[in-house]
Amino acid sequence: MTGDPSPAPVQGPIPARAGIGLRSQHHEAILETASPPAWLEVHTENYFHAGGPAVRALERARSRHPLSLHGVGLGLGSADPIDRGHLERVRDAVQRFEPGLVSEHACWGHVGGEHFNDLLPLPYTEEAVEHLAARVREVQDFLGRQILVENLSAYVSFASSQLSEGEFLAAVVERSGCGLLLDVNNAYVNASNLGLDLDAFFAALPRRAIQEIHLAGHSRRWAGARELLIDDHGSTVCDDVWVLYEDALRRFGPVPTLIEWDNEVPPLETLLAEAARADQRLERHLATAA
Amino acid sequence: MPRPRDPAPDLKTLQAAFGRSVRTAIANGTDLQLLAGGADAACFGAGIDVYRNNAWQFFLTALERTYPVTQRRVGVDYFRQLARDYRVQHPSQHGDLHWIGEAFPPWLADRMAGTGYEWLADLARLEWACATAIAAAQRDPVGLESLSRFDPDVLPCLALVLQPSLQLVASPFPIWSVWQANQREDAAAPVDLAAGAEHCAVACIADQVAVYRLEAADHRLLQHLCAGMSLSDATAAAASDAETLGRLLERLLRWAFGEGLVVQVVKASPA
Repeated sequence: MTGDPSPAPVQGPIPARAGIGLRSQHHEAILETASPPAWLEVHTENYFHAGGPAVRALERARSRHPLSLHGVGLGLGSADPIDRGHLERVRDAVQRFEPGLVSEHACWGHVGGEHFNDLLPLPYTEEAVEHLAARVREVQDFLGRQILVENLSAYVSFASSQLSEGEFLAAVVERSGCGLLLDVNNAYVNASNLGLDLDAFFAALPRRAIQEIHLAGHSRRWAGARELLIDDHGSTVCDDVWVLYEDALRRFGPVPTLIEWDNEVPPLETLLAEAARADQRLERHLATAA
Repeated sequence: MPRPRDPAPDLKTLQAAFGRSVRTAIANGTDLQLLAGGADAACFGAGIDVYRNNAWQFFLTALERTYPVTQRRVGVDYFRQLARDYRVQHPSQHGDLHWIGEAFPPWLADRMAGTGYEWLADLARLEWACATAIAAAQRDPVGLESLSRFDPDVLPCLALVLQPSLQLVASPFPIWSVWQANQREDAAAPVDLAAGAEHCAVACIADQVAVYRLEAADHRLLQHLCAGMSLSDATAAAASDAETLGRLLERLLRWAFGEGLVVQVVKASPA
């Protein structure tokens, strides 16, 4: 409320430590826990509102924790024009919460005025590189800051692709000046679903562009004769993804790492335990780097 | 690395075909062939199924969260059918799921016209008011004593600035009673749908949504005050004899100030 001014946000960059996604179930617990995470991330769209309990809870949490805003609804790669109203609300959220990082996805999401509210895959073509890079530049110019673009988990790949996923992302970085948010679980899912060559994928990514890593759980589902890994963010990080995360740290160095958990959200302690596992690995790599 | 075999569709064409495939229950063969580009169309279709299911589940879940009482009254299966039909006419227009249910109450009113279930649309209007109230800005309320800083002569010319979240919903059906009866999991008290009209006010106060049942005259007066009318004009427009009006205004002011609904008292702008 106006007579109860919002507490000032924590300033400074997000540390190369483990953070967690803040979900509404934990709005109170996050303020009370004795071992809070190093930073928090939220879905930008959940805090578009003018007020209400969610916004006030984030303002309180923001006064204690560095924050990253992670967008899921802009549909950067949509061939249709960008939704300016949505972009304005992203800008308002950025101005309100002063996040250390702002990110979105290398995807599209709307066509012909219909939004699918999902992260839909792009073909890895020259046209798509140019289009996505132009959109990222448009967003960065509008927000007045760099954004990170996250690699997608996908269930189809396009035969029309001319580039590998890593080459595609590297070209977008080069032409837009954006950073990368490397989702290690997404890469793992794509390796299983689409045959992504993980070594070649990591090798193609520009090292200095990677400013954040995501870790999450996935599930398995049969789709016809295909077994697909579904990136549902509803379980612990699997052993293979931890191994891949170690590989990413060796290649790209320690960067802020998020435990994402959006479905079947467990008690805060479970998220913090996952974050501690990431922190152990980050500390090892920080010590090595020192 | 995959290489194109046929001329590749441009991004706009590809996304249009992908969108049609996700929107419809079964993707058409031409779109699948275009998207798969010479690769195994059946395999591609299995992947499309995941996106189709995601888009539907996100839509349904958003609607269920916005309209829990409506869903409870019609049952999970029928609500799901309503959601499917609603989505055909009102696909998501925003990248923000919050707005998916915006057109649901008027759509439901059309759907239920002449069925004897018209009250469902009014119940949905009440739930949409709750969904928007909780997202509205909240301002610090002022107390009844804020009137005392004005000269008594100007009191009739004063207007109230009310909480931005405040919304009024009226129905010829007892929608407040239905809503109230469904706030508890174990509540099974039947509501007499022939009990007549109910008038409601919805607001978010101290992070909690409050749904009030008002007398018809209070509701009318509050409507005029929400429109920015002065106390005297609003009262004159609201009802009948002067003595009743005085009591009505006093009762409404005590309630509105007491509930924290008034955020400022100002001199009314000339009409």
